[in-house]
Amino acid sequence: MSQLRLRAGTALAVVLFFGFLTVANFIPEETRIGNPLLPDQGLRLGLDLQGGIHWVLGVKLDVAEEQELSFLRKHLEEVDAEDADWGIESSRVDGPRLEVVAGSPIAAQEVREWAERLGSVETLSDEGTTLVFELTDVARANVRQRGMDQVLEVLRRRIGDPVRGIPDSVVTRQGSDRVLVQIPGGQIDRSRARQLLKVTGFLEFKIVRDADQTVELLEARYEEQGGIGDDRVIATERERETDRVLSAYLLDREAAITGDYLTDARVNFDRQQRPVVEFQFNTQGGQIFGELSAANVGERLAIVLDERVYSAPVIRSRIGSRGQIEGRFSAQEAADLAVVLRSGSLPIPVEIEEERTVGPALGADSISAGLRASILGLVIIVAFVLGYYRLSGGYASLALLANLLLLGGVMSLFGATLTLPGIAGVVLTVGMAVDANVIIFERIREELRAQKTPRGAIATGFNKAFWTIMDANITTLITALVLFEYGTGPIKGFAVTLSIGVVTSVFSALVLTRLMFAIHPGSRPVESLSI
Amino acid sequence: MPFEIIPSGTHIDFLGRRRIAFVVSAVLLLAGIAAIPVQGFRLGIDFAGGTEVQLRFAPGADVDEGKVRSVVGACGVNDASVVRYGEAEISEFLIRFREGAVGDDADDETRCPLSDAQRAEFAATDAATGADESAPGTAAIVDRLVAGLRNVMGDLEILRVEYVGPRVGDELRRDGVLALLIACAMIVAYIAFRFSSRFAPGAIAALVHDIGITAGIFVLFGLEFDLRVLAALLAILGYSLNDTIIIYDRIRENMELHTKHDLVDVLNRSVNQTLSRTLLTSITTLGAVLSLLVVGGEVIRPFAVAMAIGIVVGTYSSTFIAAPTLLFLETRFGEGAGRSGPRHPKESGTKGRGSGKAGGKAARARA
Repeated sequence: MSQLRLRAGTALAVVLFFGFLTVANFIPEETRIGNPLLPDQGLRLGLDLQGGIHWVLGVKLDVAEEQELSFLRKHLEEVDAEDADWGIESSRVDGPRLEVVAGSPIAAQEVREWAERLGSVETLSDEGTTLVFELTDVARANVRQRGMDQVLEVLRRRIGDPVRGIPDSVVTRQGSDRVLVQIPGGQIDRSRARQLLKVTGFLEFKIVRDADQTVELLEARYEEQGGIGDDRVIATERERETDRVLSAYLLDREAAITGDYLTDARVNFDRQQRPVVEFQFNTQGGQIFGELSAANVGERLAIVLDERVYSAPVIRSRIGSRGQIEGRFSAQEAADLAVVLRSGSLPIPVEIEEERTVGPALGADSISAGLRASILGLVIIVAFVLGYYRLSGGYASLALLANLLLLGGVMSLFGATLTLPGIAGVVLTVGMAVDANVIIFERIREELRAQKTPRGAIATGFNKAFWTIMDANITTLITALVLFEYGTGPIKGFAVTLSIGVVTSVFSALVLTRLMFAIHPGSRPVESLSI
Repeated sequence: MPFEIIPSGTHIDFLGRRRIAFVVSAVLLLAGIAAIPVQGFRLGIDFAGGTEVQLRFAPGADVDEGKVRSVVGACGVNDASVVRYGEAEISEFLIRFREGAVGDDADDETRCPLSDAQRAEFAATDAATGADESAPGTAAIVDRLVAGLRNVMGDLEILRVEYVGPRVGDELRRDGVLALLIACAMIVAYIAFRFSSRFAPGAIAALVHDIGITAGIFVLFGLEFDLRVLAALLAILGYSLNDTIIIYDRIRENMELHTKHDLVDVLNRSVNQTLSRTLLTSITTLGAVLSLLVVGGEVIRPFAVAMAIGIVVGTYSSTFIAAPTLLFLETRFGEGAGRSGPRHPKESGTKGRGSGKAGGKAARARA
């Protein structure tokens, strides 16, 4: 008897412990974290239940390869112009290839040697003066790896950063060229979130060489000279609401200084309470900026973001490391701009390859529907087993309840994510957990019909049902694990609850129900069994 | 005596009806296969790629399917299906379109009911996210049509946006098939490990039967396959074997007890003896699945439908197919193969065949 007490006590303690973990989920998180007795971490709700944005972004690493080749091309042209005398006639990047036409076959051989010595390219074809290069496998792998790292870093700063990003959001690498972004809750509008995927956010400062009201008027001025020239570009400043051109500026193609030197950018308000974006350069940037402004006092400085002029104030005196952009933007736009400036430019474009966005309203609907289905399923099954198996059905129902507490507790312990398919897994587990009890009880009934004593029937029933129950549940566990391996997103949640549920239901049927029979009728000689 | 769903002593001649059962199963399986060229495998966006947008308009909004469709069309989606959802007084709509449905002609841009500022903003975002300007991606189109609908029909709430690109769709399709095959292989391996070679083919036949007919019913009724249905098919794969295991365990036990009986008799006896638990376990699980089906909501419905079909088919197959398949194999190939039952893991080959009391004890009888 004392051994039975020990077993019952242990089982009760286990159920109570996991039950406590399960119930603790219903206490608000703030209360839990403040209280040393309560677990800080618990069950997490999937994005399909709490609402949120789920994106799988494809990183266009081909662009990174092209960028690398373009960089090489530029380098080649520089070397040609400064030291070597290869007489490069043309060079261009076409997809994954760099094509160079040298002045002579001898020069071409020199170019080839020079390029191969760099170690990052190999010669694909060599016909007289025309050379075609391709990145080596090692270089390509490096470029792609570096590209992924850069994209991840920028996206983490923009979205995943615990302080500056969006609270509780997640940015993780997925496979060789994908990034998973999860932004929970209705914190951010979908179209606004898309702004965070902007490639550029590339800030440039350029001295204004000329200006007019429209692009056409500006171009007309240079018609006689044969255009504005290769080293100049025209950029426009537009009205925010209508996209109408306010003025056109003639600027240098190369920026005097770029946003690479920025250390901070934040929103502030000017005297008229209009939002402005304040920025700060690092020491080096401050120095360059200082020299630039000192040399161009009286000139206008265009602040260009993504090839669009935000403002072009006149430089009145030397400016140090701080400045501000007075665009014509709303407070929201200013905030977005500040984020993009702070996080730097996304070096490689990304593309949404998969999206599972759920609005908070649908999430709430799903929670209540899932809860209703769970309760209804539970009620149907408990009513059925109570009606069919009487007291033993009561044991089965208690075991079922304990099973749910164990399932919830194990999931809370691991901080698992509960999704809507996960709830379906719980409901299915409820249905299947009772199966084990049915198999045992039917065997016990059969043994009773064969004139066995209640005690003998219980023992035989449990023993003979053991392997059947194990077989049945192991096959289900196998499929749940396969689904866990191959499933994505919310479906994975189904695999999680199903596999944990299989284990807990085997435990509750084979251990807990058996224990209840051991307590009553136990070793008492009884006439009949309520089964 | 307590209430019994199947009175003890029931003796239904299941084996005698095996020909009817085989015909029924064959018809169901063939109907499913024959329906493939007619109905085709209807793949949901998970596997085929595409976009689904579910929207809820403010109560009292003057909106109908035609209006929504015209705005969606104007914003560049050529071939969208628009379906009204849920109860009549709630204006909920589901807009679906395939990857190729996004038009690329420039006029679409100007027809979409957007303000100039919105147009400029979307164009700027397109450019800044590296999207091709002549063919804005689906992500961009969704923003446009939501804004367009909002402009025309008043405030709305985005309930859900799902988009699966062509590359992801291909991968999910490949992974889905792979998951089914791997799960099948692992279960077959488990059956081979747990049962003797006599019992394994029957269990596998029942398995293929259940998955085949469930999938066939989906094809027949033009229901869509998506990730939720795949999850259900995998769950059925694991679950439908349960009943078969119960019956096979009993057959093995009875074979040892009644060595002198005719095989048909042993099989019939076994199916009848386990009939109540076969039905009861299915009823309880079906109860849970039906509650999902009825009150679990729109999102989980495809899963519940597939699961419910699978449970019913699985119960039928374990009573009408599993045992007769065993008989068929036995009469064809099993003559003189001896009578070894499902193996117990502890039961090694040398010991397992033992007859008499010692062997009987080693091979513990099961429920």
